[in-house]
Amino acid sequence: MAEPAWTEQPPLARLIEAGRPVASADPPGVRLTVRAPRRLVQVMARRGGFRATVDAARGLFGSPPPSRPEAVFTADATLVWSGPGQFLVLDHAEPIDDPAAALRTAFAGTASVVDQSHGRVEIEVAGRQARAMLAKLCSLDLAAPAFAVGAAAATSIDHTNVTLWREPDDSDGPVFRFLVFSTFAESLWHLFTASAAEFGAAKGLR
Amino acid sequence: MRITCPFCGERDLGEFTYLGDAAPQRPLGASGVPGPELEEAFYDYVYLRDNPAGLLREHWYHGGGCRAWLIATRDTRSHAFQAVEAAPGAGASPDGGAR
Amino acid sequence: MADLVGTTGVQRRAAEAATQADGQAAAQPRRLAAGGLIDRASPLRFTFDGRPLTGFAGDTLASALLASGVKLVGRSFKYHRPRGILSAGSEEPNALVELRSGARREPNSKATTVELFDGLSALSQNRWPSLSFDVGSVNSLFSPLFVAGFYYKTFMWPGALWERLYEPAIRRAAGLGRASGLADPDTYEKAWAHCDVLVVGSGPAGLSAALAAGRAGARVILCEDDWRLGGRLLSDPAEIDGRRGLDWADAALAELASLDQVTIMPRTAVFGVYDGGTYGALQRVGDHLPVPPEHQPRQRLWRIVARRCVVCAGAVERPIVFPGNDRPGVMLASAVRTYIGRFAVLPARRTVVFTSNDDGWRTVEAISAAGGEVAAVVDPRGSVPARFEAGSRGVPVIAGVVAAVEGGSGGVRGVTVRTADGRLRVGAGCLAVSGGFNPNVGLASGFRGRPGWRDDIAAFVPSGGPPGLRSAGAANGTFGLAAALREGHAAGTEAAAECGATGHPGEPATAADEALAITPLWHVAGAGKAFVDFQHDVTASDIALASQEGFDSVEHLKRYTTLGMATDQGRTSNVNGLAILAAGRGRSMLETGTTIYRPPQVPVAIGAFAGHHRDEHFHATRLPPSHHWAAERGAAFVDVGLWKRAQWFPLPGETDWLQSATREVRAVRSSVGFCDVSTLGKIEVCGPDAGTFLDRVYINTFSSLPVGRARYGIMLREDGMVMDDGTTSRLAEDHYFVTTTTAKAGPVMQHLEFCRQVLWPELDVQLASATDQWAQFSIAGPRTRDLLVLLADPGEDLSGEGFPFMGARAVRLRGGLPARLFRISFSGELAFELAVPARFGEALARNLMELGAGLGVVPYGTEALGIMRIEKGHVAGPELNGTTTAGDLGFARMMSTKKDFVGRVMAARPELIRPDRPVVVGIRPVDPARRLRAGAHILPKGAVPGPDTDQGYVTSACFSPTLERWIGLGLVSHGRERHGETVRAFDPLRGEDYEATLCDPVFYDPDGGRQRG
Repeated sequence: MAEPAWTEQPPLARLIEAGRPVASADPPGVRLTVRAPRRLVQVMARRGGFRATVDAARGLFGSPPPSRPEAVFTADATLVWSGPGQFLVLDHAEPIDDPAAALRTAFAGTASVVDQSHGRVEIEVAGRQARAMLAKLCSLDLAAPAFAVGAAAATSIDHTNVTLWREPDDSDGPVFRFLVFSTFAESLWHLFTASAAEFGAAKGLR
Repeated sequence: MRITCPFCGERDLGEFTYLGDAAPQRPLGASGVPGPELEEAFYDYVYLRDNPAGLLREHWYHGGGCRAWLIATRDTRSHAFQAVEAAPGAGASPDGGAR
Repeated sequence: MADLVGTTGVQRRAAEAATQADGQAAAQPRRLAAGGLIDRASPLRFTFDGRPLTGFAGDTLASALLASGVKLVGRSFKYHRPRGILSAGSEEPNALVELRSGARREPNSKATTVELFDGLSALSQNRWPSLSFDVGSVNSLFSPLFVAGFYYKTFMWPGALWERLYEPAIRRAAGLGRASGLADPDTYEKAWAHCDVLVVGSGPAGLSAALAAGRAGARVILCEDDWRLGGRLLSDPAEIDGRRGLDWADAALAELASLDQVTIMPRTAVFGVYDGGTYGALQRVGDHLPVPPEHQPRQRLWRIVARRCVVCAGAVERPIVFPGNDRPGVMLASAVRTYIGRFAVLPARRTVVFTSNDDGWRTVEAISAAGGEVAAVVDPRGSVPARFEAGSRGVPVIAGVVAAVEGGSGGVRGVTVRTADGRLRVGAGCLAVSGGFNPNVGLASGFRGRPGWRDDIAAFVPSGGPPGLRSAGAANGTFGLAAALREGHAAGTEAAAECGATGHPGEPATAADEALAITPLWHVAGAGKAFVDFQHDVTASDIALASQEGFDSVEHLKRYTTLGMATDQGRTSNVNGLAILAAGRGRSMLETGTTIYRPPQVPVAIGAFAGHHRDEHFHATRLPPSHHWAAERGAAFVDVGLWKRAQWFPLPGETDWLQSATREVRAVRSSVGFCDVSTLGKIEVCGPDAGTFLDRVYINTFSSLPVGRARYGIMLREDGMVMDDGTTSRLAEDHYFVTTTTAKAGPVMQHLEFCRQVLWPELDVQLASATDQWAQFSIAGPRTRDLLVLLADPGEDLSGEGFPFMGARAVRLRGGLPARLFRISFSGELAFELAVPARFGEALARNLMELGAGLGVVPYGTEALGIMRIEKGHVAGPELNGTTTAGDLGFARMMSTKKDFVGRVMAARPELIRPDRPVVVGIRPVDPARRLRAGAHILPKGAVPGPDTDQGYVTSACFSPTLERWIGLGLVSHGRERHGETVRAFDPLRGEDYEATLCDPVFYDPDGGRQRG
């Protein structure tokens, strides 16, 4: 009897491989990168349980989780604010297990934990012109003082909820990360690439 | 229009959904005595609204952001917001740390 | 009259032919040899009505036309009067052209703002067969028909003639250019910007404001409508800080460009102010080019969020209303100066200047300095202002008014001046007119701000208006250069300080002051049409007539006469109209007031508001996990909200959706099929109080649901109507998994958050949307279990006992993949819904096809899904339509009486439990071959159709492959008691009328044995 084959479909891979190359400039003004999937778990503190959740998270990650719109970078994980009393944990874990199980145990009685590893696609927007490109999509003020490294936000692009935060700059300029709903990812990717085209865009998978 | 979400900061109107007057309180259902009085109370709760020219406390939903329900005090004549607070059960409240 | 026009046309064509024969040099006969901000080394070719002409880089279409000696540019809206170029800016009411050709043809382009580019083509509007010979100009003979309110008076009755006769005729005769009728080939974008201080306008005040705010350290955005910054400094000679005005402007721009926090946006018109300090601005990215650059939009619509705004949008000169004031060659005096100073074009050799204020005298100086002849200055004040004595020496000054203009489509030939002593004629090719200046108060008068009136400058000025916004310079009624520089600097300084900027704003620039003296002159009465609104052909007598007929409030006057309602927004006409109304009624200007100012201040293309939201990107698209796999198999897709769902999967040889869907249903009913149902909303409800919470939002009870089981639930709105339905499973003591309908996923999440955060904050419950996390497939048919055992880990017990109907639990699949399995059925067959992590959804589809090949497995789409749910009598969107109660849908007994839940009390209202309410019932045509269609009304047999006899309608219908006939569901009064009754199905929309039988809505397997099997 044939065994089922579980080939994971990497997000947006089809579009990046088969898609028409967008305008390229040297060096590109914007770099769009679809990040390889990571473990992504939503942690929501129970009623009156935020302080206990903070303690549990500190024990687990060595840093308190964000309590306002920020991203916390720890040695192994990125913790991103996703609403009052809740945050997302992004880190690496075994691909085919119950990714939330360990966290569910760690937060037992203090927070509810929901696996979203397949529910979001992580996209990075970087480069000298990243802000100019994002001005077409995002209503937030992403300028340096208003949106510092480590700032995060829950907002909308094209009427679709996204979570975004700012990573440390690279040599080429600011680096923004987006978590978009998986089923909207192709639609938003089109918008990202079209908005980046005038600046010269490089796109890839990592 | 800009609304200052107590969690997210100032955001564009497009991220919010309007519900309306925050004053009506849901009457108790099962714990009340079913009958005409309770029906009357629910009728008021569901349908009767004041329409003041001036300050109004109203429910807004930050569905395009942090998904918190908010109670905003808005001047209906100028659209100026005087205050925006979180709904009592937003986030993990009651808990000082989450707010 | 027509004859005269014709003669003139012939003469004109002869003159044009002569000009062309003169060759290149003569092609721009009105161009000055030196000066101006044009690049004589960069000649540009363009055509006007097919005639080849040339201009220079730096020209507008209007300046190039004037340079070429073209005076007649268009025909007017109602009377088809010949019209020329009035202004040199965006206030232009006359010189409207169709720009470009083909799909890019754009009507009503203002020649005065169109940047000339090589290869530009423009056509005049509103003329047939040609501009100089226009048949429509006979409308002038019938002008009494076209007076104020003519639409209301003439075409009141009979109504039917509107559509067939009047409207088409009026549209043909009274047009404003032609739309291309083709899809716009260009793209548009929207973008956001944020700043402390938005400065609108880059004249002396705007540059001063931007400099002060920028130096202080504020984030500044400076928007300028023009492509070149400087405002009036581009046109008028000036001295600022001891330098030439233009040099000062260039230095200011260089300094602004050096400041990191300052953004300069040329070609950007700020068109409106909105709540909370949001400003709308339109950036013309590619309008000055034949085709926008690759990957760039033609226009970009900006939403600028600014904490403070300084409006330095200047002032618009207003014409004086006198007979013949619309003749080509009658121009605003400041525009004449702009053409001379900025574009090096002298509109005519001989010019008469008609002015009621000092500023008109600058035009006298400018014409003289450029070598032109000022035939006379007509100033009702009668004396030369002291400041201009030197510059106007030798120019005849007449104390009087212009009472008539000679000339037709060939332009002005002369004017008749009325003085205290009588009339005299002065010959001239151009009449430069100044009636004073109207500050651009539009933005400042947003939010129903009412401008104030200043007698000393005879103009409306900003007063009140949007919070955070202030005006400076001419836009604020401050007309002197020195005062404008000071006021702009002060406004920029204050605005920056209010935003917390602490740097030093520097010192204001200085200049010699010049105050403007004016004696208001609005209207010179006399014989002949005196135009107030050129674009809409509203005359002084129209305003008098409207006032006489009682339309004397400004809002009524506007709508009755259409004053100020054209695309120019009445920028040259409104104040004159109000002044004539005020004078006629003996009221002050302040008492008369203005109409309410509303955005947009300049016309904005719908395309710019739409941005990228067009065609397939009209809205964001959601793709279920098996989308690409389904596309590979040639599935047809249907838009369901934002989703694209597979509708059916055609096989080779199938030509018709019904053929494919019928095959899919038969395969499911006889063997096994699967369908991607990931579009259903999925919500994880967690926390100790999750069960209590669900008890309060559903009509039935979930706290008693055992772990590992699923239950169908119905939610009501608080008014007692059904909101949504779906299956909810209990995966752990404190963890439920709620599914919603595809359509209501968002609204249900919002509702549940409302319940959690507002209604019952005491409940410890957490909600997370998991719609995108899971690829969920329905697997249905008698062989479902045979297929699932090939997929599931051998340790999973899928037997009837081990996994009973409405069982739900986490399982492991072969290969170790974790999954969730629910034994629920929408089709009436033995069925499971299997959920795997979303990136494995495509693999799940492939595995099902491969492993099920021997079982004859088929994928099925939404058509088959819909057919099977109707056969099984399950309600869906057409029945859950917002007007039905749980009782209407047959779920009255599900409503708990032991607990509170949303909608419980209101659902018990007498009207909502009336026994004659339409309720769900099955319907089948008496004739088994007959097609049943949704929408047919149900009446008692033999009843005459009407509101009194209407008993309901067919909500859902399909061809049932199982019953081999058309069947349907309906909402019919007393339906449950009438199974077996023959009724009349009446469908006047489709012309159908037939008999049908009411029956049990469950057409298939009524005792449910198959789904429990």
